Amino acid sequence: MSANLERLVEIALRDVLDPEMGRSVVDLGLIYAITAMPGGAIAITMTTTTRGCPLTGFLKEAVAMAAGAVEGVTGVVVALTYEPAWQPGMIAAE
Amino acid sequence: MLLASLSRWTMSYFAAALAFLIAAEVLAVAGLGYPAAGLTEPATLILVHLVAIGWLSLAMAGALLQFVPVLVSRPLAFPHLALPALAALVAGLFLLCSGFAVLAGWFDGPLDLLPLAAATLLIGFALLGLMLLATLLSARPVGLFSRFILIGLACLAATALSGSAFAAILSGRGGWLDALSLLPDGLPFHALLGFGGWLGLIAFGTSYRLLVMFMLAPDPAPHRVRTVLVSAGLALGLGFSGLVAPLAGLQPGGAFITTALSVLALASAFYGRDILALYRTRRRKALEINMLASIPAFASLGLGIALLPVAIAAGAGEGIVAALAFLLAFGWLGGLTLAQLVKIVSFMTWLGTYASRLGRGPAPRVGDLVAMPRTGWWFLFYYAGVALGVTMLAGGFATGFRWAMLSCLVGTAGIVTELVRVRLLSEIRVGDRPPVHERPRLLLARADERSSSHADHRRVASPRA
Repeated sequence: MSANLERLVEIALRDVLDPEMGRSVVDLGLIYAITAMPGGAIAITMTTTTRGCPLTGFLKEAVAMAAGAVEGVTGVVVALTYEPAWQPGMIAAE
Repeated sequence: MLLASLSRWTMSYFAAALAFLIAAEVLAVAGLGYPAAGLTEPATLILVHLVAIGWLSLAMAGALLQFVPVLVSRPLAFPHLALPALAALVAGLFLLCSGFAVLAGWFDGPLDLLPLAAATLLIGFALLGLMLLATLLSARPVGLFSRFILIGLACLAATALSGSAFAAILSGRGGWLDALSLLPDGLPFHALLGFGGWLGLIAFGTSYRLLVMFMLAPDPAPHRVRTVLVSAGLALGLGFSGLVAPLAGLQPGGAFITTALSVLALASAFYGRDILALYRTRRRKALEINMLASIPAFASLGLGIALLPVAIAAGAGEGIVAALAFLLAFGWLGGLTLAQLVKIVSFMTWLGTYASRLGRGPAPRVGDLVAMPRTGWWFLFYYAGVALGVTMLAGGFATGFRWAMLSCLVGTAGIVTELVRVRLLSEIRVGDRPPVHERPRLLLARADERSSSHADHRRVASPRA
């Protein structure tokens, strides 16, 4: 059940697009982890391509909103991390 | 986590900068300044300072007010000083040009305009320096890229102070300075520190960060960046020594400026190697217009800085030196600035208009705000003018140079038009534009784009997530 919810959340996050690249935060490798808790709470660990990134607040909010809209999700916590630092190699092949 | 701020006045700095560039180009097309006048004659000095202070320095200042907070992930310090600094710089430049006009005998006025201009410009640069310095030093330890800007600001201080000394001497109020041979011996060092240090070195440091972000390239190895910083710092240190040598009763001579320029050429070669590596290792394969239009700028740097010390050492004529200086000012610094303005303006516009819609439905991409390929054609006009201008200056063809500047002017006017259209969201279908009250203002960030006095920590400008 939790793996399924995590998968649904990941699919939902594919709608959160980077305005420069037009690719999703998932494809860009910005989502480090999606963990579903018992009861439907979701914990997401994400990063940005650079510290001080301008869009950080908006991205966190958009990610939380997209995840929260998934049926079965009861709550979302988004944590930002720079360990490990994002690298261009994390981008998924097109 | 703290985030950088959306600088309210950056667009105003850019607008003023572009207005001064167009003014300089119009005057050059009209035949004012070199080669119709001597290199150090007042008419040429007007043009040079319109470009150096009006165009390049104001554009650099506006970009730094936006970029430095992003670089250090701290809000801009003393943000309320941004407008007074801009006002002082613009007023100071008008006074300076008026002082040069008096010096040229174009109108009868007091030569005291020159020291008054110097004082006004010093105030403007000091306010700007205070904001940037306090912001940079608020993040410890001071990062590698911040050091480029710190050294650049030191060069700005030396340039502005030496320029003030020149202004005092030219106005006849130099006092004890008159006894020294600051003029004309100090001029090459004044120019080196201004163009090579304040504008050039900071362009080096900021472009490292911006290119990594724009092209999704891996960060360059720190030791390679440090090599550029140290070698360029050495060159500028030599330049500073040459500038203050007369104060110690020493005459630095021509070999000194040649040596400083040669070391700067070496630093530029290291820098060029890194830039090439960034282009080659980028993950974003399709180059946007800002990165495409930067390529001639990097080529101009490579050609100009490699040949300038050779030309001076070989005792080449004034025309050759002027041609190479023009290539560095208009090709390298001017070209890079124009190219990156397209990206900075479009990203800031997107941020102020669409960032709050992120994840809430369809929104245009940043690149959708820019008209392509039309914008690229304007850059072609601009760079064609630069190439022709270099040729005409080297050959001593004054009329040909005016035609070259006309091409630059057409290109610049076209790029300015495109930037205005970006701010007006002209490339977005009417039905997809936000309501009028949510659209960006032409010259400044809307008040509701900023949460505090100057900044909304959630909304900042840098082009990548």
